[in-house]
Amino acid sequence: MMDAMKRGALAILPLAFGAAIYGFAFGLLAAQVGFPWWGVGLMSASIHAGSSQIVAVEQFATTGTVLGAVLAGAALNLRYVGMIAALSDVLDGLPLRWKLLAIHMTGDENWALTMAERAKSPEIGAPFLLGSGLVMICVWTGSTAVGALIGAVLPDLERFGLGFAFTAAFIAMARGLWRGRSQIVPWIVAAGITVGVVSLGVPQAYGIVAGALAGLGARAVSRRRAEAVA
Amino acid sequence: MTGPYWAVIALLAAAAFLIRVAGLAAGGRIRASRHAWILDDLPGLIVVSLVASSLAGQPWPTWIAAGIAFGVGAMTNHVILTMAAGVAAFAGLAWLAG
Repeated sequence: MMDAMKRGALAILPLAFGAAIYGFAFGLLAAQVGFPWWGVGLMSASIHAGSSQIVAVEQFATTGTVLGAVLAGAALNLRYVGMIAALSDVLDGLPLRWKLLAIHMTGDENWALTMAERAKSPEIGAPFLLGSGLVMICVWTGSTAVGALIGAVLPDLERFGLGFAFTAAFIAMARGLWRGRSQIVPWIVAAGITVGVVSLGVPQAYGIVAGALAGLGARAVSRRRAEAVA
Repeated sequence: MTGPYWAVIALLAAAAFLIRVAGLAAGGRIRASRHAWILDDLPGLIVVSLVASSLAGQPWPTWIAAGIAFGVGAMTNHVILTMAAGVAAFAGLAWLAG
């Protein structure tokens, strides 16, 4: 168990470094809105959802309403229903309290890495997810709190391509999840719908949900056709 | 930190956790149903959508860098190598584009 957790913790480090950059930037934003550094850390540890936190804080800053900020932030998290559902096999057999801990520690990066590594090595499971999740939540919490304290002195690292590191990492993870030709059409549909929806000005998180659902629809159609032929 | 700040943190934390719990409950039900295939296909579709969402509306050097990362990823199936190649390509193309 500990070895597998350590493996997950080490494997996620490059992505954690990238997340820390965003953490600093978010901490700075939240501090400017009036959150103290310890409040930012508390928020990151208890919510652990970067895009959701950013949108909620932005909404809170512009509208000043609690409910609007919470609803906007929560709506961006809806993709987690599908992500956590897909972890069903990984979490199977764990006691409930460990399952609840694991799903709280699950973020985009360690979820995708766990799924991609599991596709390559079926022995990858909950300990890997927990180890990588522990690193991510610690780095996210620490970097956002530090960002709120000293974020203003951070140089613009985006221009060195650090933002693109996530995209490249997710491309590699998609490769790890590739199982064969039956995925071609659903993946093209998912990508096309996501690009289309986001290009219309819809927030990325909604585009991801729309794309994944459209891809599932395409897969359902192709399965039905295959069954009809058989 | 005043009441509204505490409320944003507490309510959003509760909402984020409940959404995750909903996923946990849904996963168990789907896995036991004839729609279990969804759980096999969903991870790839979400990751592809994550990539597509970050490329939407980006300039051509970003798409080329993504293509290079795709090539390296397809050949190596290695996350860190793909990240390194993608970031190097992105930085190089951004420099070339001025």
